[in-house]
Amino acid sequence: MSALSLAGMTRMGDLRLDVDLVVEPDETVAVLGPNGAGKTSLLRLLAGLLSLDSGALAIGGATVDEPGTGAFLPPHLRRVGWVPQDRLLFPHLTVAGNVGFGPGVDADRVAGLLDALGLTGLAYRRPDECSGGQAQRVALARALATDPVVLLLDEPSAALDVESRHLINGVLTAAEAPATLLVTHDPVEAATLADRLVVLENGAVSQAGSPREVRSRPKTRYVASLAGLNLLEATASGTVAVTALGTRVVLAEPAEGPVHLVVPPTAVALHRSAPDGSPRNVWQAGVTDLQPAFERIRVVLDGPLPVVAEVTPAAVEELGLRVGSEVWAAVKATEVACHAI
Amino acid sequence: MRRFLLAFAGLAVVLLALPIVGLLQRMPWSSLPDLLGDDVTLDALRVSLVVSLVAALVVLVLGTPLAWALGRTDLPGRRIVRALVVLPMVLPPVVGGAALLFALGRRGLIGQWLDRWFGLTLPFTLTGAIVAATFVALPFYVIAVEGALRTARREIDDLEGVASTLGAPPLTVLRRITLPRLLPAMGAGLALAWARALGEFGATITFAGNLPGRTQTLPLATFLALQSEPERALALSLVMLAVALAVLLPLRDRWLPGR
Repeated sequence: MSALSLAGMTRMGDLRLDVDLVVEPDETVAVLGPNGAGKTSLLRLLAGLLSLDSGALAIGGATVDEPGTGAFLPPHLRRVGWVPQDRLLFPHLTVAGNVGFGPGVDADRVAGLLDALGLTGLAYRRPDECSGGQAQRVALARALATDPVVLLLDEPSAALDVESRHLINGVLTAAEAPATLLVTHDPVEAATLADRLVVLENGAVSQAGSPREVRSRPKTRYVASLAGLNLLEATASGTVAVTALGTRVVLAEPAEGPVHLVVPPTAVALHRSAPDGSPRNVWQAGVTDLQPAFERIRVVLDGPLPVVAEVTPAAVEELGLRVGSEVWAAVKATEVACHAI
Repeated sequence: MRRFLLAFAGLAVVLLALPIVGLLQRMPWSSLPDLLGDDVTLDALRVSLVVSLVAALVVLVLGTPLAWALGRTDLPGRRIVRALVVLPMVLPPVVGGAALLFALGRRGLIGQWLDRWFGLTLPFTLTGAIVAATFVALPFYVIAVEGALRTARREIDDLEGVASTLGAPPLTVLRRITLPRLLPAMGAGLALAWARALGEFGATITFAGNLPGRTQTLPLATFLALQSEPERALALSLVMLAVALAVLLPLRDRWLPGR
């Protein structure tokens, strides 16, 4: 039984939202898309704040919206936990009052969630006395308090401090966490939090799959430009980060602790022989795949830094690249973006 | 330039403050207890309180749904109704009273039927005074609440949406989210409407007359006393000044922000 299954269509103004989507229990799915793709409308549809024009939506195995049969369950009878992008804490209630708002949420549950999200000391504060990260944690605790079947997160870690990001990730990856659907325009957020990616463009799903599948075989220009980013886990110390494979990567700005390194494929330069010059990350790699992506070719590399490079067909010709070729790859330190986990 | 502006601003302050000073300077402090304790004053105070409080209650009961309809629905004709709501604010109260008389008087448009079918007569009664006060006070409340609803419409929609996903049924959402969010605007609007009802003169005297103990409110009694008994007029004025201050003080944070 899926936590959530949607196959349906609805119109809002100029936008036609037509989506097939399934979220299994214990699964985290990220819907990735540009602004205006219909991400927030999709969440409102799932929560019951908008309704389908055709098709069907089931939550926890029960049909909650099916225009064909006239079935429609209002939001308060659906078991979803909505964390809106702008948090929308109730301004006249304290932090504890917000978390305990749902009918049937008892004091122990509130105390447990406040503790898990590092909010115990803020229990009697008003929302306007909370920082952005704290407000986001309160909104998450409030949604989790009602034991939803599926958690709906709208841009969950936009502009979060490191502590909040850490606490939120901890709660979302805990064993008892519900199925989660998050929408975001940030490919790093999508790839780090989700088991599966669904790409939404102009109200329709343009691609779906594991982050690795989507990254290596982008089907649209948007996916190629965003989801195609290389993502590496590493531990930083000063201006050097060491990846899980033990490879040293030089950074432009110093950082400390666990980080995600993000490298745009277009920033990976390929050479026939070892290049020399400015402070660079240079390594030798084998070509495992070559994929056309619009006017460019994506070159999938193995070796100490398994990344994807994006080059022109002319460069592939010139370097004589084919599967099994050996090349030198180089990335400038300034091209490596470093995000604290 | 600056000096000219300050001079005119000072003149405005003098214009606002001078009447109050004049009133207090002539106040017969020694005979005040007697004047305030006699029947004429107490009757007028009682009529005024009954009229203004009942009018405030009617304003709350009728004005809240009207503010909701204007601020949160897309019903057709809202612009016309909105203009209608503001009308009593700009209409001279005497004209309002005369209009009420033509509509609800014993020969009036509706009044003749009220009289024939229910034996209900509004002109020159306490109920008539309440109707007149409600007529002039309603706009102040509706405008305050509708303004709050309209400027925060998106936010209120969203907060209600979140509350419903947390399992709160519509009535709970109204009670625990919508009303608390609107309470400050409702309180301020109601205070203004009540003060307006308390000070009402023109529409009341035109529609409800000036019958001591029945329709004679504090402003009417004050006007009457001025001609024969100026000291009583001063005492009555002091009562109304005290009431005005009592309304103004809780509202000062709304009107005097950034002190």
